[in-house]
Amino acid sequence: MGIEQDNKEIISSIRENAKNLLSENQVDVVIGYSEGTVPLSSTPIIIRRVEDIEKLTWNNLCYMNLARYLAPLMPQLCDSEGKSLRIGIVAKGCVGRAINLLAVEKQVDLDKIKMIGFNCNGIVNRSKIALEIGEKEILEVNISGNEIIVKGRDWEKRFPYDQYINELCKVCQVKSPSSTEANCVGECQELETINDEFSDITEFETKSAGEKWEYFKEILQVCTLCYSCRQACPVCYCNLCFVDQNKPVWFGKTTEYQDIFTFHLVRAQHLAGRCVACGACSSVCPVGIDLNFITRKLEKIVKERYNYTSGLNAEKVPPMMDFKMEDAQEFMLEED
Amino acid sequence: MPNPYIPYLTRVKSIVSENKANDIKTIELEFKNEENYKEFGYIPGQFAEISLIGKGECPIGIASSPTEEGTIKFTIKKMGTVTSGFHNCEVGDIVGVRGPCGNGWPVEEMKGKNIVVIGGGFAFSTLRSLVIYLLDEKHRKDYGKITVIYGNRDPGEVLYTDILDEWKKRDDIKVVLTIDREAEGWTEEVGFVAPIVKKVAPSSDNAVAVICGPPIMIKTSIAVMEELNWKDEQILNSLEMRMKCGIGKCGRCNIGNRFVCVDGPVFSLAELKKMPNEY
Amino acid sequence: MDQKILKKDQIGKFYNEFAGEYDFYAPINKKGSIVFEKIENPEDIVLDYLNSKVPPKSVLFPQEEVLFEYSLDEKDVEITDRQNLEQKILIFGVRPCDAYSFELMANFFSFHGNWEDEIYLKKKENSTIIGMGCNTPRSTCFCTSVGGNPFKKEDMDIFLTDLGDKYLVEAISDKGKEIVKKLSWLSDASKDDLKKAEDLAKKAEEMIVTKIDVDTIVKNLDTCFEHPVWDEISESCIGCGSCAYLCPTCTCFDVIDETDQYNNRGRRIRIWDTCQSCLYTMETSGHNPRNTKIQRCRNRIMHKFSYYPTNYDLLGCVGCGRCVSVCPANNDLRVILKKIQNIEKMESEKINA
Repeated sequence: MGIEQDNKEIISSIRENAKNLLSENQVDVVIGYSEGTVPLSSTPIIIRRVEDIEKLTWNNLCYMNLARYLAPLMPQLCDSEGKSLRIGIVAKGCVGRAINLLAVEKQVDLDKIKMIGFNCNGIVNRSKIALEIGEKEILEVNISGNEIIVKGRDWEKRFPYDQYINELCKVCQVKSPSSTEANCVGECQELETINDEFSDITEFETKSAGEKWEYFKEILQVCTLCYSCRQACPVCYCNLCFVDQNKPVWFGKTTEYQDIFTFHLVRAQHLAGRCVACGACSSVCPVGIDLNFITRKLEKIVKERYNYTSGLNAEKVPPMMDFKMEDAQEFMLEED
Repeated sequence: MPNPYIPYLTRVKSIVSENKANDIKTIELEFKNEENYKEFGYIPGQFAEISLIGKGECPIGIASSPTEEGTIKFTIKKMGTVTSGFHNCEVGDIVGVRGPCGNGWPVEEMKGKNIVVIGGGFAFSTLRSLVIYLLDEKHRKDYGKITVIYGNRDPGEVLYTDILDEWKKRDDIKVVLTIDREAEGWTEEVGFVAPIVKKVAPSSDNAVAVICGPPIMIKTSIAVMEELNWKDEQILNSLEMRMKCGIGKCGRCNIGNRFVCVDGPVFSLAELKKMPNEY
Repeated sequence: MDQKILKKDQIGKFYNEFAGEYDFYAPINKKGSIVFEKIENPEDIVLDYLNSKVPPKSVLFPQEEVLFEYSLDEKDVEITDRQNLEQKILIFGVRPCDAYSFELMANFFSFHGNWEDEIYLKKKENSTIIGMGCNTPRSTCFCTSVGGNPFKKEDMDIFLTDLGDKYLVEAISDKGKEIVKKLSWLSDASKDDLKKAEDLAKKAEEMIVTKIDVDTIVKNLDTCFEHPVWDEISESCIGCGSCAYLCPTCTCFDVIDETDQYNNRGRRIRIWDTCQSCLYTMETSGHNPRNTKIQRCRNRIMHKFSYYPTNYDLLGCVGCGRCVSVCPANNDLRVILKKIQNIEKMESEKINA
């Protein structure tokens, strides 16, 4: 059974569940994914009528974390009085994690949300493929068997699926939402804890501080500060981001690398123990920076020190938002 | 063509605190180079981009009238970083000034007409400029009757009290002051601006009204003016928008296809009704 | 004769002819993204590309640009104007859509009579544009719907056509003719070369599949400001700035003072800004005239396809398709425009249903 077959089954389960939720009047709208209009993409969509259910799809390019549309809530998801509609939301594991975390942080009302869960089978690493194809236009991307088939005007290239999905997806252990049936239809699981794997950064960890600095400088040099990463992040919902504060101005907004650095590193710190490992930031970067890589080490530290994984339930507060008198603090001086 | 982003340099000549809360000050500026004052030639209702070099720049309506020769004045409310900076200014400090920007009150077209000035709160600054201009001996004969209706929250918030007193002594201008609620020692009108306009009932015959103030005051006053048979073309408004460049380049002050900084800030109600409601 | 041949192995020689006198900008591959940068080594130049990720507007209107510099002491300020605006600039390898964008930007920056943007206009005046036809336009391109063409030559000084192992060089403007005259070592083009270039141009135009009825869109936008179609259009937008930053005609900027407190000097700079950002129109009082995503998305479309035509009798879009391919949420401009184009049809369907 290949990815294709998986996807067919996922699509029919999503549509079935969405249809039931809408027709049984359990929700007012369903947020899901629809086919993209350009290769290597997909479009988030809001479905309001059962007739439009067929627009919902799933493929391995549904990289956006749909929880991003929940906080801050946009007018399209509110009634005439500005109150939240009842929302069905197509939820891969990391969307479920984001919704749980948003609930912990009191940004969403779980009573108004029904997740449509399924077992995610991975997201294609679009930047990596685009980079390898280079300056040729990709016209079509298909997944067949265990291969990603990329076609252009007079060429075709095949990539092994397992290797060309996001690094995060390779080590993902929360493929369906960690939730109860009260909040979720379709696939879900109740996870107490998981053994997060950080094999993707072990090699990087062996580098010296200087080498790490150079590495970040290198990858961030093409950043245009368009803030797509922040805007796509389901847990970056601040009304006024630190980088936009101007009373007083805290950080520069120029394209000098110091300013670019400050933005990305401080943002990563704000995500410590809150990142839900969806990889949306990396997927949406128009210049292909693997931004998620910056947050990974912080996730690892939080996991090691507090045995906390974000978004597994809707109660446990992230360690950085909480403190105990006996919290260890030695890392503030010692960690390099 | 010179670099339009470079300001003239001026020095703070005087600073006057205008209200009891002490969050509104009028700063008088003297150009470092006198020639620049002549180049700066402006009319009432225009604004300038004034800056504290190193802190930033902001658009502020010019409160002085071109008839008060030699210096220019700005009335500044403490709001953000730059305006707070101005509140910390001392006499002698350097201030950058670019402008004059915008269209200003149409003082040429207003000639031969009766003028009704309606203002509320802190937004009175360019109205001060206009009235001083109209009352100047060079210009007074060009205009008909002048009526000023000026409202404030409480007596402590009334700006330019010295000048208002001077106007009240003259017989060629009618000045009506009002505050929202009764206050000790206040002998003039009490009530919101709109009902006072209704009471004063300025005639729309051969007249122009200029209105400046908080949105709710503008809205309610206009409703009264319409009752009094004023036409949209006779009512002028000055708008505020976030601006950076002041010269139609940075983009942010558009309302539909018009830029407030160059096509405005003064628009007639007739024009505003044609523009999208995005201000 | 104004048609010459430049062999591909002569690019280095070509570069050396200009490098001293001009700041020579050309596309390079920076971490997988094609961008225009000042060339120090001609071997970095990449000409076998579809179109650059960041448009060459970044050469004349960089993301961050000094407006003037200042020094401060206790009681005085000294301002130093920009010094380097007279520097000659050569932009090499520009696509026709982007070359046209320079004209649109120059028009905008000179529009309000007494307030011309000297910085942009001087640089533009001192620039020589050497462009290149698009042999293979992308599927997202729609220049032919907005008055362009993959082989449009008007907005260039010199126009190149990629003939495989060599470029056909055509001098377009007087400035271009002067330059070509000076490059006496260029060989003459043959009839075959010209014929081949003509065929390539024809083939390229046929390859553009996206057709947009701009006239109807401009007309419909006149009356649909309050239409619910904007709710739908803005639904998937996440409010980032990638469409605007990578748009060759977007000109909006923010102004910031950067002060070096320890040395009492600094610079007032402008940086790119975008109407898609909530803060763009947020006033100090907290009031925001475009507080919702719906309003912000609408402003972007209205600006390019309604305000621009009203104010300048031009379209504010060159059809490069960059925003189409970079939008993280795949909020495809072509789809947006189709929706606006079909507003009347939608209405009548609703009435019938």
